[in-house]
Amino acid sequence: MAISYILLFILSFISISRFLVISKAGAESELVADLLTLQSQSESGVIHLNDRTVSKFITSTKTPRPYSLLIFFDAIPLHDKSDLRLPVLVHDFALVASSFIANHNGSNTKLFFCDLEFRESQSSFKLFDVNSLPNIYLVGPDAESLKDDTDQMEQSGFTRLTESLVEFIESRTQLTVGPIHHSPIISKKQMVLIIGFLLIWSPFAARKIFAGETMFHNPRIWLSGAIFVYFFSVSGAMHIIIRKMPMFLMDREDPNKLIFFYQGTGVQLGLEGFMVGFLYTIVGLLLAVVTHVLVYVKDLKTKRIGMLFSVFVSFWAVKQVIFLDNWKTRYAIHGFWPSRWN
Amino acid sequence: MATMPASASDLLKSFKLKTKQQELLIRVSILCLVYILAFITRLFSVLRYESMIHEFDPYFNYRTTLYLTENGFYDFWNWFDYESWYPLGRIVGGTLYPGLMVTAVLIYRILRFLRFAVHIREVCVLTAPFFASNTTLVAYFFGKEIWDSGAGLVAAILIAVCPGYISRSVAGSYDNEGVAIFALLFTFYVFVKAVNTGSLAWSLASAFGYFYMVSAWGGYVFIINLIPLYVLVLLITGRYSMRLYVAYNCMYILGMLLAMQIRFVGFQHVQSGEHMAAMGVFFLMQVFYFLDWVKHMLSDTKLFQAFLRITVTSAVAVGGIALGLGMVSGYISPWTGRFYSLLDPTYAKDHIPIIASVSEHQPTAWSSFMFDFHILLFLFPAGLYFCFKRLSDATIFIVMYGLTSMYFAGVMVRLILVATPAVCLISAIAVSATVKNLTVLLRSKNKVVQTGSTKGSGGSKSSSKALLDQSQPFQKNGAIALLFGAFYLLSRYATHCTWVTSEAYSSPSIVLAARGAHGNRVIFDDYREAYFWLRQNTPQDAKVMSWWDYGYQITAMGNRTVIVDNNTWNNTHIATVGRAMSSYEDEAIEIIRSLDVDYVLVVFGGVTGYSSDDINKFLWMVRIGGGVFPVIKEPDYLVNGEYRVDKGAAPKMLNCLIYDRARGVEIGNKDVKLEHLEEAFTTSNWIVRIYRVKPPNNRW
Repeated sequence: MAISYILLFILSFISISRFLVISKAGAESELVADLLTLQSQSESGVIHLNDRTVSKFITSTKTPRPYSLLIFFDAIPLHDKSDLRLPVLVHDFALVASSFIANHNGSNTKLFFCDLEFRESQSSFKLFDVNSLPNIYLVGPDAESLKDDTDQMEQSGFTRLTESLVEFIESRTQLTVGPIHHSPIISKKQMVLIIGFLLIWSPFAARKIFAGETMFHNPRIWLSGAIFVYFFSVSGAMHIIIRKMPMFLMDREDPNKLIFFYQGTGVQLGLEGFMVGFLYTIVGLLLAVVTHVLVYVKDLKTKRIGMLFSVFVSFWAVKQVIFLDNWKTRYAIHGFWPSRWN
Repeated sequence: MATMPASASDLLKSFKLKTKQQELLIRVSILCLVYILAFITRLFSVLRYESMIHEFDPYFNYRTTLYLTENGFYDFWNWFDYESWYPLGRIVGGTLYPGLMVTAVLIYRILRFLRFAVHIREVCVLTAPFFASNTTLVAYFFGKEIWDSGAGLVAAILIAVCPGYISRSVAGSYDNEGVAIFALLFTFYVFVKAVNTGSLAWSLASAFGYFYMVSAWGGYVFIINLIPLYVLVLLITGRYSMRLYVAYNCMYILGMLLAMQIRFVGFQHVQSGEHMAAMGVFFLMQVFYFLDWVKHMLSDTKLFQAFLRITVTSAVAVGGIALGLGMVSGYISPWTGRFYSLLDPTYAKDHIPIIASVSEHQPTAWSSFMFDFHILLFLFPAGLYFCFKRLSDATIFIVMYGLTSMYFAGVMVRLILVATPAVCLISAIAVSATVKNLTVLLRSKNKVVQTGSTKGSGGSKSSSKALLDQSQPFQKNGAIALLFGAFYLLSRYATHCTWVTSEAYSSPSIVLAARGAHGNRVIFDDYREAYFWLRQNTPQDAKVMSWWDYGYQITAMGNRTVIVDNNTWNNTHIATVGRAMSSYEDEAIEIIRSLDVDYVLVVFGGVTGYSSDDINKFLWMVRIGGGVFPVIKEPDYLVNGEYRVDKGAAPKMLNCLIYDRARGVEIGNKDVKLEHLEEAFTTSNWIVRIYRVKPPNNRW
């Protein structure tokens, strides 16, 4: 009898403990399933976390967790700060996430990509002790304290996020990310549409060209286009686009003052270029107006005033450009008179 | 006694020229003066320093020219150069544009034949000024073709001294651009002439001009894209004619066949994406003129409409399919990086650091335009307006040339050079037309005064002029004042150009000049000192490692083998050197040994304050190195996003090889002890330092 009691006890113990184990495993698989549904709900595969879900998936689960979380710390109010480049980083992060999911055919349950937004999850930011952006943390399966046990990605990685993120993931989690799927600029459908449109449109265009009734036959349009190209080039607009120069700078010492002109060769600000480009253009245009428009004006007074006006404006514009150039480059460009007369 | 003056006056009378002859005489003498002016204004560098080759690339050109004179054309064509890109070597004949070298050797041979005992170096030094003089002549004829001979003269004068062109054609600047701008302008001129006349002879000439351009400079791609664009615009605006058909077809087909004879270009005309526009326009033109002919033959418009629809659709479809097939099968190569970076200017910065690293490839700020064009910049829009007021096939061409090249000049500083002829021509139109109007005003005024009584009745068109004449007592004075103003401004332009040439564009950059404390010139000749040291004191087969900027000079003057040079064809190899330069000495020595390097040459500006030394170029070494080897990361060398070389520099920076070499003595890290390298030679001003790689220790 006693033996049978003992057996019964052992059996019940085993079954209870097995039940316990099963319930723990069940809770874990439930969490993973939750994460997977959240992941499938998001377009890029990045799970949006908040304070509640952080506690659900990280702080209130027991270690070791069956998954790692890679968390990107975001703050929407800071998106317009150009030096942080947050929108670009968000995009890169989503790119890596979607590539990772695609490369694992959605069967991955080891690593999930998440993001946290500052305004709605301030206490989580405190938990991680995150004071600066951008920041990416990896919460491993064994991480207990979010401050100490998590891996932070180095700040240097943010200059080329996709590559360094892949490297970071592969070195810390021993998972392979695989190739990154950059989305093409024009998708195949768009390509087919464009080609189809061109095919349909070309006979009509050809007919018009033969008939000579397009806007391309109007020299005025060509002229304004030409002046625009000139203005665009000499104002250094390409410089602004390539170097991503701002239109103006804030003065560091006095935040209310704006700096429009930058001293130093080879660098220029946006508005500065446009102003000088305008000065460049105005002189030539005035000359053209004087020689081709003003001569047809009947009224003598208007003619004289127009003439004097254009002479003075041209004089002023050239003088201004030369003054600015001398100030900017510290070279003494030759202006109206020898430089020692100034 | 009495007969003498009479006979003298008779003699004078017989010499007295008619107005037309006088005009011709004045024109020819002005042209001669401009020709000479263009030559002598480029001689500052020879007078100030000596007759020598400048900068970096010209040294390679000089070396190959020397080889050509010594070994003849066929050896030159098949030359495999062991002295550069060790251990890869370089096929020189197939990887250069031979036009410049062949031209120089031809001039040299002719001078020799005429019994002038010149050295090939002098010919090389003076090639660029000589071609600049020729360019002024072409500019004159071009200006004459598009406007009138007055505009041609002004254009010749403007281009003779324009700093944008001088920057690339001073004596000693023996580079492709020197002859290429001549070839470019010549091709354009002859093509416009062909379009204007419809003559086969001129089209043939433009094909040969194009061939010369292709043989001289990679910038020929500009021609092969601009001319089709021009043709396309003429087609669209309804200005097509048989003249255009003859000119373009002859130029394209013959020019293409001729260009294929240059090995470096090869079959690119039918294979590379950059040349496809020309081919597309060629086929489009056939379809266009065929349709025009059918329209001419068919009297029924409805029939023609239907025919048109079918033909155009099928032509576009066939063209698209052919292009697509060519791209997919790899027969047509996609656009190269340099071409991309012109169309999408942000491309280079993100994808090809080696292009972005060259200072000439930087985007242009507004001040550079002012520096290189001065008053022309203000006249350009006026000239554009004048051209639009008198539209013809020729003015459309010059407007398109001006605008496209202006756009490219905005993308890259060095393409200001390509824009210069167009800017000079268009501004010349503005100047010439304005001055002509003013002088006509002055003259007609005189006439009006003489024939004042007869005037009075006139059409409505001349009444405004009559009104103007009658009621403006200051008109003549005003015109005189404006004329003086114009000439004064032009004289300021001349002053500016001379000053820019003398101050900025005439330094050979291999010999440095600085103003001493007392305002006197101090000359630093350290580079040549170092190269001659290499030549005299190192074994024949020594390999020298340096940053690629100095590669050509070391091979040409030091006559030693280099690892990388200015022909940046192998990015990986350059990145290897960049990696060696930017790693710790222990890591670097492995790379150095694997490349069999015997000497390391670095440029150090610490003592003399020379700013463009290797530390300045260092960020690019890191970037280029990092582009191939992910081990190198740019932020490791930066402190708070700034690039510093003093005591606050980043730790990785202070310990890497180049730092030890280049600025070790000045700041930041003073006591540098090198384990594997030893100092071999330092020039008198400490600009160039050469280190010997120690052989490995004996293994016990």
